[in-house]
Amino acid sequence: MRARKFRHSALILASTGLASLAVLGALASRGSEGAVSPPQVDASQVFTPAHRTALDAVREFFLRHPVPVQPIAYTHKVHLANGMQCVNCHTGVDTGPDAQLPSIKLCMMCHQAIATDKPEIKKMAAYYERGEDVTWQRVYNYYPSAHVKFNHAPHIRAGVDCKVCHGDMTQATVAERVVNMNMGFCLDCHKQRKVSIDCTTCHF
Amino acid sequence: MAHKWGMAVDLDRCTGCEACVVACRAENNVPTAGEDQAARERVIHWIRVERYWEGEFPDARLKFRPVLCQQCDAAPCEAVCPTYASYHNQEGLNGQIYNRCIGTRYCANACPYTVRFFNFYNPVWDKPLHLQLNPDVSVREVGIMEKCTFCVQRIKAAEIEAATDKRGLKDGDFTTACAQSCPPKALVFGDLNDPTSEVSRLARSRRATLLLGELGTLPKVSYLEQDSWHSEND
Amino acid sequence: MERRDFFKISAITGAAATLDACGKPEQQLIRFIPDEDLVPGIATWKPSVCTLCPAGCGLTVRVMQGDAEVVRNGKLGLIRMGLAKKLEGNPQHPVNRGKLCARGQAGLQITYNPDRVRHPLKRLGARGSGEFQEISWDDAVKELVSQLSTLGQKNEAGSVAFLTRPLHGQRRTLVEVFLKAFGAPAPVSYELFDEAVLRRANLLSFGHAQLPTLDLARARYVLSFGADFLGTWNSPVAQAIGYGEFRQGRPGLRGKFVQVEPRLSQTGANADEWIPARMGSEGMLALSLAHVILNQKLRPSSPGHAASLISGWAQGLPDYAPEKAEKLTDVPAAKIVELAQEAASHEPAVGVVGGAPLAQANGLATAIAVNALNELLGSVDSPGGIFFTAAPPFAAGTKLPEPPERSQGRFGALNAVLQEILLDRPHSPKVLLLHDVNPVFAAPPDAHVQAAVEKVPFIASFGSFVDETSVLADLILPDHSPLESWLDDVPESGLLAAVATVAPPALYALYNTRAMPDVLLDVAHQLGGNVSASLPWKTYDEMLQAAFADVEKKAGAKSGDIWKKAQADGWWSSGEGSAASGKSRLSTSGTPSHGAVTMSEPQFDGALEEYPFSFLPFASTMLYDGSLAHLPWMQETPDPLSTAMWGSWVEINPRSAERLGIRQGDLVEVTSQHGKLQAPALLSPGIAPGVVAMPVGQGHGNFGRYAGHRGANPVSILAAAVEPETGALAWAATRVKISRVGEGKLILFAGGMRENAAEDENR
Repeated sequence: MRARKFRHSALILASTGLASLAVLGALASRGSEGAVSPPQVDASQVFTPAHRTALDAVREFFLRHPVPVQPIAYTHKVHLANGMQCVNCHTGVDTGPDAQLPSIKLCMMCHQAIATDKPEIKKMAAYYERGEDVTWQRVYNYYPSAHVKFNHAPHIRAGVDCKVCHGDMTQATVAERVVNMNMGFCLDCHKQRKVSIDCTTCHF
Repeated sequence: MAHKWGMAVDLDRCTGCEACVVACRAENNVPTAGEDQAARERVIHWIRVERYWEGEFPDARLKFRPVLCQQCDAAPCEAVCPTYASYHNQEGLNGQIYNRCIGTRYCANACPYTVRFFNFYNPVWDKPLHLQLNPDVSVREVGIMEKCTFCVQRIKAAEIEAATDKRGLKDGDFTTACAQSCPPKALVFGDLNDPTSEVSRLARSRRATLLLGELGTLPKVSYLEQDSWHSEND
Repeated sequence: MERRDFFKISAITGAAATLDACGKPEQQLIRFIPDEDLVPGIATWKPSVCTLCPAGCGLTVRVMQGDAEVVRNGKLGLIRMGLAKKLEGNPQHPVNRGKLCARGQAGLQITYNPDRVRHPLKRLGARGSGEFQEISWDDAVKELVSQLSTLGQKNEAGSVAFLTRPLHGQRRTLVEVFLKAFGAPAPVSYELFDEAVLRRANLLSFGHAQLPTLDLARARYVLSFGADFLGTWNSPVAQAIGYGEFRQGRPGLRGKFVQVEPRLSQTGANADEWIPARMGSEGMLALSLAHVILNQKLRPSSPGHAASLISGWAQGLPDYAPEKAEKLTDVPAAKIVELAQEAASHEPAVGVVGGAPLAQANGLATAIAVNALNELLGSVDSPGGIFFTAAPPFAAGTKLPEPPERSQGRFGALNAVLQEILLDRPHSPKVLLLHDVNPVFAAPPDAHVQAAVEKVPFIASFGSFVDETSVLADLILPDHSPLESWLDDVPESGLLAAVATVAPPALYALYNTRAMPDVLLDVAHQLGGNVSASLPWKTYDEMLQAAFADVEKKAGAKSGDIWKKAQADGWWSSGEGSAASGKSRLSTSGTPSHGAVTMSEPQFDGALEEYPFSFLPFASTMLYDGSLAHLPWMQETPDPLSTAMWGSWVEINPRSAERLGIRQGDLVEVTSQHGKLQAPALLSPGIAPGVVAMPVGQGHGNFGRYAGHRGANPVSILAAAVEPETGALAWAATRVKISRVGEGKLILFAGGMRENAAEDENR
């Protein structure tokens, strides 16, 4: 109860803070000679690091990662129980920075024959029929303003198990952020393993 | 021994073509300001080609000089940053940590080379130009200083590969975007702690000078002055 | 402050999110199944060819997985595909050896340019209104086929005109075969900065209608007459590589470089000495240098073939004694003697000529004069001198054309077609096909390009962008961007060895575009008959493969071997010509017989009294001939000499400006007998008092958001003067007057031109 109230008032404080900053910003930009306000652009036509809405900015400030809704109720538990490995689907994780989110082509390699009666599989098959890929919602990412360039390969090669950061997927259905991956979490492990903690190792 | 990254710029080879300028902005997601902001002097070029005119017609002469962050060992920008966003790492790089930066612009004020640039507004890329953005480099938002990083993303990638293959980095294994593109090979990047590297050899040249070296910034870019034609050659 | 302003400052207004980070699948775009299997975060490097200038440098493209918004079957969605992230020079390619110029780097912005035409278009509104509607490829091709076959049926196949930038490689063969089989005239090539005069001079002098390859790395003395060889002329990257070695590649030996031009170019800025000779007098200066060398017997003087073409050479060029030449060139006699002695005593010395000196009525004589000078200096086909690239040994028929037959852009040919239309001649074109050419922008006003083009009943364009010429089209069949196309080229210069470049597409097509060669093949097959029979390939890569099959047969290689290797490397060489060849490669047996050429003074349009300034439009380092103005990186990269961006400017000597009351940044009007334009003035010590110069590239009407309606186009005031023998446009032969009209705006990256800001007033 107190925690919620605290968070609530913190939110109000932050919003007021942001609002006053914005007021100052607006006044400042009108005050300076020949001021040009930031370009008014249509979000769908440009790419920009600006937040889409103020609410996004606030969310990011408090490091909130909204739990996404996946289009298909995928279950890691079942696949791992059937003998699959993480890298079967999440390719690239030992050779480069990113882990692949597999395309529907990979799934259908098995699921054109396996478990075709299950409703979720039928949903997926429907995507495939339409020529569409599944719109998986990203679970793991850093906010752009953290400016982190995480590279999977050195971690995998160093023998860091996937579950250290991603949790024990043998018990999970969809992916969820079960580990609080803040910078302290990364640094703890880096210090323990005596690996570089220089800023430019990750931030560039 | 730890690396100490440096560069050499041979002003006798440089032709002023600015291939380095475009290669750098392509590699490092440098935003395009557009005409209006350019008129307000807010264009960002991590590397630029300075030109110095001397004399009047018909004896006018022009000299080109590519200027980029000198990664000074006694960097004025590092001394003034209130948040350690500008700091010196163990490989001699002046790191710019974007998420620490709060945009005081004191570093740009302190830098005598005018190589630091501020994002006065959120950059925009008209779609689909954004598809070209390099995923290995951050996209900077409003309120953040940026500057040449000696293509730190390439340095990191090369170091990781070398560590994986359990080998040391050799001179020439990789280079910065600007040096890679430079046709007359005026720009050379490498490890100053490796006495056999090309950049070390050039830094020892009798033509080597430092830009504003008298300020005591200890820059790590050696500028090799143009030779005169009648020196030693005839 | 209003709530709305609050959000505007901290965010951007906009439509529904297209990013997939908001966690709600129903609010997002659909995803299409990828065509490719890529690994995220890891780059593959694919070979390609740079097409932004004629040099033909080899590229390697960094391709990485990413999400792009595309339209499939009328639905908008995301697709995971290979995206080009960076272009680098192909390290193995013999022309550019891993290096790439500023323009080449910007090539990425062609593929991802927001103003690209994304699907076939049919004109909806009035011609030139820019109103088009989207149609399907089937309908577009049917329309073109119908237009052509109607002509064929009426026995009017000769009324088809194919207007293009000079074509290279198999694209050229395809177009030529198509037109010939159809019964139409050969394609008409046009580009503003074509070097037809130099090619003709080299043909007459040395038997090669070809641009020279400069061996700068082994030269000791370079004397360049107006050639911007480190910026925009001939093979700039290969030449810059050689220049680096020329300066500091040989311990203890540093070459000397002298540039002769009235306006200091980016290349000239690197010279040890700048000789601001009068515009159009460069050839006379060359002859004067030859006079000194001949008369002082500084070199063994067996006259070569080029020398025999210069009238007066055998007599020792008495008309070009230094004292006489001084009056013609504005170069002091003592300096002429000094230069001649230097050049003769520092072997190997090489002369280079290109650009403005040849864009004059006396251009051919100038080029032959420099060729003769080179023969005198012993630098033809000799280390440190000029060479001619060998041609790959392809069989006749479906071959990659040898460089000497490379089609030459000529203003004369363009003008002839335009005149046919304007004068309603009987076989004047009824169908006009446009490919990679923009004559409304790049041709002088007296050619009346727009008026002529508007008269043609049916116009189809293969262009990727709507520019001021293709906006007049009735049908647009958008080509793929270069990175999405099969590309092939045979470099004309910049290397010694015979090389063929070929590369498969580095990327899948982003939009609903089709490669022009594939469209042409499709049209050919739908036309049937002779046309279809002459082009028995379904796709362009089949045609390319067939060309290589010839080579493989001759070389005794297994079928497909050379083809596969060429694609993987991005280039292939027969090995011929890679060693410095002996003089026997130059044969005059192939040269057309030609009378002696008499050097003459240049002819300028506009009387000196009324038009006191020579007007020099120069190829901009970033925008080239205007064809790159739509790339924002090129607009924002500062011009090397002035640091100007995002606009036009007129370079004028400070004394001349002072006389006319013009200060830095003032808006001036430049008037010729053929038109006028306005642009801000830039005071420069690097230009002669009697010359004003402007970069070519801005002043587009249509050409997208970055290039459109920006600056002024110097071509729009040029006289349609020509070099008489080749018909090439003499674009440096116009005189103008200039006056201040008000306040202007110069956008300079580096502020003033001088360190002392007081020298520049109100920027």
